[in-house]
Amino acid sequence: MEATGSNAWLISLAVFLPLLGALVMMAIPKEEEDLHKLIALASSLAALIAGVFILARFDYDNAGTLQFVVDKSWIDVINSRYIIALDGLSLPMFMLSLVVVPLCIIYSWDHIPEPGNAKAFLILLLVLATGMNGTFVAHDLILFFVFFEVVLLPMYFLIGVWGGPERKYASLKFFLFTLFGSALMILSFLALFFLSDVQTFDMRILPEAAAGIHSTTAIWIFGGMFMGFGIKVPMFPFHTWLPDAHTQAPTVGSVILAAVLLKLGTYGFIRIAIPILPEAAAEWAPWIGLLAVIGIIYGALGCLAQTDMKRLIAFSSVAHMGYVMLGISTLTDFGMNAAVFGMVAHGLITGMLFFIAGSVKERYHTLEISRLGGLLVSAPRLGWILGFASMASLGLPGLAGFWGEFPAILAAYQPADGLPVETFRTYMVIAALGTVLAAGYLLWMYQRTSFGEPSEEWADTEIDDVGTFEWIAWTPFLLAIVVFGVYPNLLFSVTDDAVVNIADIVAKSTGG
Amino acid sequence: MLVNQFLLLGAFLFCTGVYGVLARRNAVMVLMSIELMLNAVNINLLTFGYLHNAVSGQVFALFIIAVAAAEVAVGLAIILLIYRNRASINVDELDLMRG
Amino acid sequence: MFAQLTQFESPPVDFFSLTPLFILVGGAVVIMLVTSLSPRPIPGWFSTAVSVAASAGAAVVAMVLWNDVRESGPYSTVSDAIGIDGFSLFFTVLVSLGVIATALVGDAYVRREHIAAPEFHALLLTAATGAIVMASANDLVVMFIGLESLSIGLYILAAMQFRRPHGREAAMKYFVLGAFSSAFLLYGIALVYGTTGSTSLIVIRERTSSLGAMVSPSELLIVGIALLLVGFAFKVAAAPFHFWAPDVYEGSGSPVSGFMASVAKAAAFAGLLRVVVVALGANEGDWAVPLAVLSAISIIVGAVMAITQNDVKRMLAFSSVGHAGYILVGVQAATAEGMSSALFYLFAYTFMVIGSFAVVSVIGWDNGHPIERYEGLAKRRPWLAGAFTVFLLAQAGVPMTAGFVAKFLVIKSAVAEEIYWLAILAMVASVITAFMYLRIVMAMWARDADVDDAPRLAVAPATAFVVAAAVAITLVYGIIPDSLIEFTRDAVPALVAGN
Repeated sequence: MEATGSNAWLISLAVFLPLLGALVMMAIPKEEEDLHKLIALASSLAALIAGVFILARFDYDNAGTLQFVVDKSWIDVINSRYIIALDGLSLPMFMLSLVVVPLCIIYSWDHIPEPGNAKAFLILLLVLATGMNGTFVAHDLILFFVFFEVVLLPMYFLIGVWGGPERKYASLKFFLFTLFGSALMILSFLALFFLSDVQTFDMRILPEAAAGIHSTTAIWIFGGMFMGFGIKVPMFPFHTWLPDAHTQAPTVGSVILAAVLLKLGTYGFIRIAIPILPEAAAEWAPWIGLLAVIGIIYGALGCLAQTDMKRLIAFSSVAHMGYVMLGISTLTDFGMNAAVFGMVAHGLITGMLFFIAGSVKERYHTLEISRLGGLLVSAPRLGWILGFASMASLGLPGLAGFWGEFPAILAAYQPADGLPVETFRTYMVIAALGTVLAAGYLLWMYQRTSFGEPSEEWADTEIDDVGTFEWIAWTPFLLAIVVFGVYPNLLFSVTDDAVVNIADIVAKSTGG
Repeated sequence: MLVNQFLLLGAFLFCTGVYGVLARRNAVMVLMSIELMLNAVNINLLTFGYLHNAVSGQVFALFIIAVAAAEVAVGLAIILLIYRNRASINVDELDLMRG
Repeated sequence: MFAQLTQFESPPVDFFSLTPLFILVGGAVVIMLVTSLSPRPIPGWFSTAVSVAASAGAAVVAMVLWNDVRESGPYSTVSDAIGIDGFSLFFTVLVSLGVIATALVGDAYVRREHIAAPEFHALLLTAATGAIVMASANDLVVMFIGLESLSIGLYILAAMQFRRPHGREAAMKYFVLGAFSSAFLLYGIALVYGTTGSTSLIVIRERTSSLGAMVSPSELLIVGIALLLVGFAFKVAAAPFHFWAPDVYEGSGSPVSGFMASVAKAAAFAGLLRVVVVALGANEGDWAVPLAVLSAISIIVGAVMAITQNDVKRMLAFSSVGHAGYILVGVQAATAEGMSSALFYLFAYTFMVIGSFAVVSVIGWDNGHPIERYEGLAKRRPWLAGAFTVFLLAQAGVPMTAGFVAKFLVIKSAVAEEIYWLAILAMVASVITAFMYLRIVMAMWARDADVDDAPRLAVAPATAFVVAAAVAITLVYGIIPDSLIEFTRDAVPALVAGN
């Protein structure tokens, strides 16, 4: 089970290389913009290469067990250790995070948002990368929490300094909402520490050690974690920070927010909350499912009410994360597999949509849907890519989005033993209705922005089509959407073992 | 000896002092009220010293007397500072900052 | 009854153990003598240098003593009046570091504000001596003397900004409320003395913990404890006894405010821990709940009032009230772990707050410290803005900073004692205060601020050094807090008699 020698440190390398890059950049004066971009790209690519090595050496036959385990002492006095490891559940998320950051840096090459200062912007991106990478591989609750929180600050600054006109409000709201969740989450972690049989923060031991916790207490502890992760996802009714943050964030910020940050919450549910407190999870599951379907419908209706393209995509995120949470709430391996797939797919597709929105904004200086139009005429390639991403987003079979949504809905037909079947079947029907709405708003958006002739406002303006850096940044996204759509097993086969383990824990606790 | 009576006297003086600090407007009167509180403590200490037949209460009282003198010196200097600048030592007029 | 006086023998004194105190007082004496006797004017840096050297010396000796204590255990000297244990040495180090930082920041400050440098530094050193005496006192009389040396020094330090009406007002308020609270404390001490028959903390602990010898009437002891709590609550600026703090912090010179918020608060907590938590530990039932309530009120008041302020110094003052509340969370847990978490918090907070006030002192006074004056600081002085950001985020409890570890530890001690309501309240309030810290951060990094015609900010090298060191400490203990946590674990007060 332990990977040998040098391999084990590959993960730490991938986690901390961006941070190293950021430290180097701090020492360089900010006038050297190109050098900064190079270092940022190099360090994030180096992390990605480490990730590729991990991908190559990963033992896919044992995807359910933790690999590349590093277990070193860290803060001994509070029993917190530096435990870093990967399994089939972490791997896709980890890779997603490793891939997205360099692509974002490439995209930023000639798109550093107002007010410039490439140095600070890229340093923040790299710190963000370390936080995200670390969260997906940490196996100690405190370490997890630290990484989870490290993500918060750079994103806060990215929105607050480089954001749109309402950036102050949006960044503050983002920070405070998430901090509130984290505050309750850390309390839950502490309660777990003191109440479980062994006083430990080790996530590998906790599922067993926490089994003795009284069920009422466990429900409260789960509640604390639910706040922490649920706000991050975000679930209805805590979602209100998301549209503001997305709308105001600079393009790259929105992309990372959608592609990786939201997944920290859902990942936390699958990795921490459910396996450690399976009984409480079963108690909570119907309510989580309820909030998930409310999110699906609310997000969809919200989309229909939007006039701003970026805000519309943000609301569609709420809906999509609703499917992911619905999959998780079934507590079955089928549902959770779908959820993980949905996380990756949503990361790719919505990330892509935000890239496009950013590029549209750059060209038209507005994202008002009513003022746009004729994108297919004025910038055909951009228009086609938008069309492709919208189709993927509405869950067209053959593209990645389908495999996140459809199995999640299907899973609700037969939730784990002990969960109310009728309720979940109702959720299933509602969620299925949500897909129709999704098709509605995405097609509406696409039609308004891309079809027809360019409006008079833009008739005389020359609109550039997709540029070189955009192509480089986007191609991997587009390819991945197709590849995972055509061959979903690529992902399912990796995640399945790990997810089955978690579903087994649930089945054991609720069945016995 | 009338231990209880002395303790009550101490408590009464202390309360008078507290009232003085809270209610008096003149800074010098406030200072005197604080002195009253400290001396109420001294009475208590002496009484308890007598009760326990120990000298430590009296020693403590001596320390308090000495420290109180130093405190008053500083306090008067500060009051003087304020008086020189505004020709008034009404504490209610110290309202630049609302705590 | 005075028979013992005739046989008076001076108690044996272990002079080496008291060296830190002598060094600090000696420094103050040297400063005063040299500057007043010298025929030529002595430059301002001389006083700074002496204060820094004296505090550094005190800290070094304390570390040496610390090694002794670790090997051969804690002991008391001067007839059990002064305790030399991990606790007192921890505070000796902390206070000395606080003085070094304040003296260095004060160096440029006194020059700019035309304040007499020798007095400033001499008072700093005597006040610091008082703080250390408070932390080392094994006897209520000694504790009182320490408290008064600290307070009287601070009254004058607060009054040094006397050219501004705000400064005079702050001095007056600080003096009146300081003396007022000292009187409460003394009354409490008198009652404790009356019921236990001794001023020695060691004896008090013995008598209160052995129920058989429990003194009558115990009601008086409870009243005494209550008055002690009120007195200490004033001193640590815990709500509802905090109302002096915002005005005094606002009106005093920024380095002095930093000193009050760090060293004076630490000394008051030292007194609280030594007297109430350790010496009166057997009466936990009488003070644990009131302390928890004080803590909760302070946290709420600190959070709610801080976000309504518009003056950065007042924000820091209210946040300091809140921090007192967080430290009390650790104190009220009344466990060794709780105490060590409170000590860790004090240590971490000292550097965050001294650093913050150092930045405030650089920005300077202009009809107060409105937050608007911090707008665009990142453009004018990016490193200074960055450092202030670190201090503010650390105070907000963001991970990777010592502030997070500190909050984590106090909350952990509360959860360990299953005092969930306080833990939840503290965490929720920390989100509210985060809003206030972020307002300052946001103002500094506002990109649309017009800073072209703003005057250039002069950052003296000594101030820059303090700020940089405080940032380093805040970050290092945020990432690898092990050594400091162990230090605080060994620093729980011992209260042992004899050598």
